[in-house]
Amino acid sequence: MRATAKIDVKHLSLFYGDKQALFDVSLKIPSFQTTALIGPSGCGKSSFLRCLNRMNDIVSNVHIEGKVLLDKEDIYISSIDVVELRTRVGMVFQKPNPFPRSIYENVAYGPRIHSLFKNKSDLDEIVELSLKRSALWDEIKDRLHQPATRLSGGQQQRLCIARAIAVNPEVILMDEPCSALDPIATAKVEELIDELREKFTLIIVTHNLQQAARVSQQTAFFHSGYLVEAGETGALFTMPQDERTQGYITGRYG
Amino acid sequence: MSTSTASLKKRRLKEQYFRLAGFLSVLLAILFLGGVLGDIIYKGAPAFFRTEISSKLYPHLLNAHARYTIDKPWVIASDDVDMYYKKGYSNRLTPLQIQEINMLKTMGQIRVSFNTGFFTHSDSREAELAGIWGGLVGSFFTLLVTFITAFPLGVGTALYLEEFAPKNQITHWIEANINNLAAVPSIVFGLLGLVLFIHFLGLPRPSALVGGLTLGLMSLPVIVVATRAALLSVPHTLKEAALGLGATPLQVLFHHVLPAALPGMMTGVILSLARALGETAPLLIIGMVAFIATPPSHFLSPATVLPVQIFNWSRSPEMGFVENTSGAILILLLVLALLNGGVVFIRRRFEVLK
Repeated sequence: MRATAKIDVKHLSLFYGDKQALFDVSLKIPSFQTTALIGPSGCGKSSFLRCLNRMNDIVSNVHIEGKVLLDKEDIYISSIDVVELRTRVGMVFQKPNPFPRSIYENVAYGPRIHSLFKNKSDLDEIVELSLKRSALWDEIKDRLHQPATRLSGGQQQRLCIARAIAVNPEVILMDEPCSALDPIATAKVEELIDELREKFTLIIVTHNLQQAARVSQQTAFFHSGYLVEAGETGALFTMPQDERTQGYITGRYG
Repeated sequence: MSTSTASLKKRRLKEQYFRLAGFLSVLLAILFLGGVLGDIIYKGAPAFFRTEISSKLYPHLLNAHARYTIDKPWVIASDDVDMYYKKGYSNRLTPLQIQEINMLKTMGQIRVSFNTGFFTHSDSREAELAGIWGGLVGSFFTLLVTFITAFPLGVGTALYLEEFAPKNQITHWIEANINNLAAVPSIVFGLLGLVLFIHFLGLPRPSALVGGLTLGLMSLPVIVVATRAALLSVPHTLKEAALGLGATPLQVLFHHVLPAALPGMMTGVILSLARALGETAPLLIIGMVAFIATPPSHFLSPATVLPVQIFNWSRSPEMGFVENTSGAILILLLVLALLNGGVVFIRRRFEVLK
């Protein structure tokens, strides 16, 4: 890892009640790069992602061991405010989940609750910039005050990305952001992910190996709760070190 | 090929039978409903009209109280005259009285006019003077108490149980009990109200306060169940989206969950209030069955409610009260229809926003 580690996960284990979902995972996430998490269903990659902004907290009976360091600071110690953490580490979900409000209000919601603007024109600017960064502005600039639920699935997902970047996070977590989208919408989101890398550190969970190869610089392969292998994407796909990784990327199972 | 078309035909036929059965059930239901409603309207509509006489020559044809109101040109006739003149029931009149009425008719001194007293008077022993005003005011006060007590308590309980309470054995037990309470017969709540509010707290007996509190007890579990169902129907993804942006649980609740759940919540609350409005049994138990001839002026004054008044009238043998009973039922149904219309309006209003 040449770049500095934005997130440093050390010996992380996750338990849902008695069931252990992650086993002693250690992984460094470099700044301003895209890290892809791949692996078969139920391997723990989504659970791992949700540890990074403590979204697992809302599930009852969750218990965690190990450390997650964000800029060298453990996010699981009690002095960390979850609300503040989640403004630094934003999230985009598998299914587009815009609020049942207008397009404008969706993007403005984050800045509003965190008071990130001085006046209305400030807020307008944040909304416009976020929508431009998410490559949605040209399509919807004339109907900012229409319900977001009327947008197509792909547009909704890009709106969710705009909503996430409106609070200016440092890291954006994406949990299979394209699994509910058609190929054209997927291509747009992938293109977007590549552009966002300039400003943000991205971590994306994906089932689509080609997608991981296309958008990421680093890839981590999970299997039954273990981090099997992690490394530079090109190297991992061409010369996997572990037999299981090789089996998965060549399509023998998963 | 032929077997498959035969089986297809059979399946189509089955579907047609099923459709026919469904259509017939709807038809039958409409017939019954129309029959009941038609009967009530037929019997109740005359209650909105009364017979008046402009001659003072035959005081025995006039209402006993109204006959002294000499300043008015038209005086309310007695209910026996009213029944004869409007509907032709003559069994409580002497042949002479019938003759007198017919004479008044030829002289144009007897008429049927709109019965304003039915809406402005309170209960009376005399059918021609009895009105629903007292019952309406009593129902209003009672329902107000029910709303003030049951709405915040019910919604608060549901919010806490659904959004904040730890999911453990105790809350599970509480939830199960609330669900069961929603199905308890209303008369049981009447007994509870009698013991709790009258015997234990010593509140005045036939008051709107006690009635409203008792109906509030009855509505509480229904409101809790309806509110929880509305909260549960809010998609989890919506909460995650807000939490992921760094909203606090309270912000998630007030900015996203409550607005999304509001139409369902309001529907549950209004429907349970509508049920409370039509409720009779628990109010009989707590003594709201008394004959009360003046509308209540405050929450502690003796009061009756519309359905109890209907119940009381229905036990009176006079023909005039039979008419009044149906007339009052029509008004009660109208109020209930308005409440249900409010539910539809709220649903439409909020669905437009989505």
